[in-house]
Amino acid sequence: MKTLRDAKIGDTVKVVKLHGEGAVKRRIMDMGLTKGTEVFIRKVAPLGDPVEVNVRGYELSIRKADAEMVEVQ
Amino acid sequence: MAGIRIALAGNPNSGKTTLFNALTGTQQFVGNWPGVTVEKKEGKVRGQKDVNVTDLPGIYSLSPYTLEEVVARNYLIDERPDVILNIVDATNLERNLYLTTQLAELGIPMVIALNMMDLVRKNGDQINTKELSRQLGCPIVEISALKGDGVDEAVKACVSVAGGKMMPQHSFSGAVDHALAHIEEVAVHDLPEERQRWYAIKLFERDEKVLEKLNLSQSVRDHIEKDIQAAEKELDDDAESIITNERYVYIGGLMKGCYKKKNKGQMTASDKIDRVVTNRWLALPIFALVMYLVYALAMGAPIGDGGISLGTFLTDWTNDVFGGWLTDGSRSVMESLGAAEWLTGLVSDGIFAGVGAVLGFVPQMLVLFLLLCILEDCGYMARIAFIMDRIFRRFGLSGKSFIPMLVGTGCGVPGVMASRTIENERDRRMTIMTTCFIPCGAKLPIIGLIAGALFGGATWVATSAYFIGVAAIVISGIMLKKTKMFAGDPAPFVMELPAYHVPSVGNVLRGTWERGWSFIKRAGTVILISSIVLWFLQGYGSVNGKFGNVEELYEDETVATEEYKEAKAEQMGVPVEELSPMDDSVLADIATPVSTIFKPLGFGSWRPTVATVTGLIAKENVVGTFGVLYNYEAETEDDELDEEGSQIWTNVEDDFNKISGGYGKLAAFSFMLFNLLCAPCFAAMGAIKREMNNAKWTWFAIGYMCVFAYAIALIVWQLGRLFAGAPQIVGLIFALAVLAFMLYMVFRPYKEATKLASR
Amino acid sequence: MLTWLQANLVNIVIIAIILLVCYFVIRGMIRDRKAGKSSCGGNCSGCSGCGGSCGTV
Repeated sequence: MKTLRDAKIGDTVKVVKLHGEGAVKRRIMDMGLTKGTEVFIRKVAPLGDPVEVNVRGYELSIRKADAEMVEVQ
Repeated sequence: MAGIRIALAGNPNSGKTTLFNALTGTQQFVGNWPGVTVEKKEGKVRGQKDVNVTDLPGIYSLSPYTLEEVVARNYLIDERPDVILNIVDATNLERNLYLTTQLAELGIPMVIALNMMDLVRKNGDQINTKELSRQLGCPIVEISALKGDGVDEAVKACVSVAGGKMMPQHSFSGAVDHALAHIEEVAVHDLPEERQRWYAIKLFERDEKVLEKLNLSQSVRDHIEKDIQAAEKELDDDAESIITNERYVYIGGLMKGCYKKKNKGQMTASDKIDRVVTNRWLALPIFALVMYLVYALAMGAPIGDGGISLGTFLTDWTNDVFGGWLTDGSRSVMESLGAAEWLTGLVSDGIFAGVGAVLGFVPQMLVLFLLLCILEDCGYMARIAFIMDRIFRRFGLSGKSFIPMLVGTGCGVPGVMASRTIENERDRRMTIMTTCFIPCGAKLPIIGLIAGALFGGATWVATSAYFIGVAAIVISGIMLKKTKMFAGDPAPFVMELPAYHVPSVGNVLRGTWERGWSFIKRAGTVILISSIVLWFLQGYGSVNGKFGNVEELYEDETVATEEYKEAKAEQMGVPVEELSPMDDSVLADIATPVSTIFKPLGFGSWRPTVATVTGLIAKENVVGTFGVLYNYEAETEDDELDEEGSQIWTNVEDDFNKISGGYGKLAAFSFMLFNLLCAPCFAAMGAIKREMNNAKWTWFAIGYMCVFAYAIALIVWQLGRLFAGAPQIVGLIFALAVLAFMLYMVFRPYKEATKLASR
Repeated sequence: MLTWLQANLVNIVIIAIILLVCYFVIRGMIRDRKAGKSSCGGNCSGCSGCGGSCGTV
């Protein structure tokens, strides 16, 4: 299973499914990372974490650990 | 129409606050939502009769998970405002509309204020507002909150829709709508028609708070549950996700019809800047350099003396004015008026000296505040939180804990309050505890005075104060996170990065002025009273059994006999010639025994002790107190005015050298560190108490800061003495023990929490 | 009594001014405390000090 965490800088991936549950998952979805959404990996922070992506036209920064919940292809 | 109530809702960073200010001007009232620590802003709309607007907290959705969301939705459901004014950031349309669809479901008449349209046009994108409005079923007004365009129209639109009805126009896919219809029928059909939709959707999502509120019977709940599960099975997802998905699908459709984006995936100017500034390797050094420059420009070595600081350059001048002219000037005026001597003393050496010592630092403060405001307004500070997140994660905090630190560089009180954005209770408490380590505006005069009086205004003193503050927070975080009290999973960090923009001159100047003005106000109030009280306490005491004005008593040789002076000198540990009347004052009598606690730190003498204690009222008081207590004619041979300062600074330097056995610089540095890190002023303590909402935690926080400050000052002083070749053995042993303990706390193994984040 | 007043007129005036100032200052401070104003300039809406991220998730 490939997740957002595995994506590399410059990739454009599509969200397949969101795993996990609770407030964090809800928050990630509220911010626009839903099934079928296209995500562009803009940047990885110094020291590797968090990750900055472009989703639905704006910049979102998300921790690698949380990005693990987002299954992509 | 009598009394229209507008609710202002929208995403964070959408320009909501700017719009609120544009709507209400100064007719605002800020308080708290009852029972929670979330701020509530209300105001009267300018130019309208009887139209009130309530600013709801910035939210991304109406889920039941965060305090802000719950507060907002409770207001909307229970208070039923007449109109919702939904501010939408046009440069971020999809994400913003996600909230809009939820607001529409509430059935309250709504007007959308489409903000930042000018930026959209600049990018070359197009939004078909008419079509969007038709599809959403409510009026849309294009505005620029910053410039004030369209605000009046938005208000007029609100007034015209008030009292009407609003039916949400969007629908979900078949299976979902089916389930929702069922739920409406079964559970909420007795509610007014326009509200049913929202409740049905919430029930579908299994929203805890709504379930509680509606108090449905078990059979109804079971019935609904069946419907939900059927839908979940069909769509292979859980109910909440289904709804979220559906909303975005609907919005996606809207976008196709109304939004034309020009450059897809091209690098904007913000991206280009970010490539350098948040670059993996360069980001931290750049940040260090930026903060170094900020403090160097504000408080470092002055222009014309090897440095670049405009602030210090001006401060040197103002210190002469406030420190010298006013004090001397007022004295000669009063003497010529024939005022009593004690009164002259009170006014010149008490009030003017104390307040003047503090006001002299205003230029440095203004420069610093100006630079910090610029950094905040252009968006750089948000990037810093992003960068720092990884470091903070190391010890279980998130980059969100960094924001209070940034705010705290102005004043610790809003810094402490900014911790509200942290949802995790433990992390929040830890952030509250350590935020005050950052030098706030009021602590700047302390830095400025020590840097100026003892280090010739060297730049490194001021910048080191800031970095030591940051280090204190980091080290504290590491140590505390490893204790059982705070150990836990790192908080989730999902944050939006706003685009860079050229700082608005108005915002920056206003922000600088606000902070500067509160500083000046405090000088005229707290410091003023403090100086008066202190002047009395240091001017009066008992000399050889007689009570009165110590200076006068000293001049009377029958009272202040040779034997008495010698005995006193021995008691104070100074040679007889250096004995000053102040040493006999009430203040000295009280403070001298207390000052023994500070002996291991290098500044165990009554004046620094008094200064430190008065610092609890307001940190500027440390300097104000110095102004009063060190305002005497020096009796030593170097009776020259310090080139860059005043008589007061010379005396400070002399005194510190005296009480430290010649290691004045070291003692002063230790003193500075102690005052920077120890318990904050009363106002900040009040804020801590409010945010902690728990007496035990509050005292723990304050106690921690004091102990930490003591430990650091102890280590600095003792190790300094060691390296200078003149160790104080007993103190050194303690210092090494403390250092060893701290190192252990920092480097001991961290017990990783094993379960995944779930709240 | 009158001569005493005359001789000390300057002092009395100055003390009166100081007392007046103190009175207003203390009164202002108590009012601020009651209104819950913090030392940052009054209220959080005036606080431009968080990069606009107050309320950011």
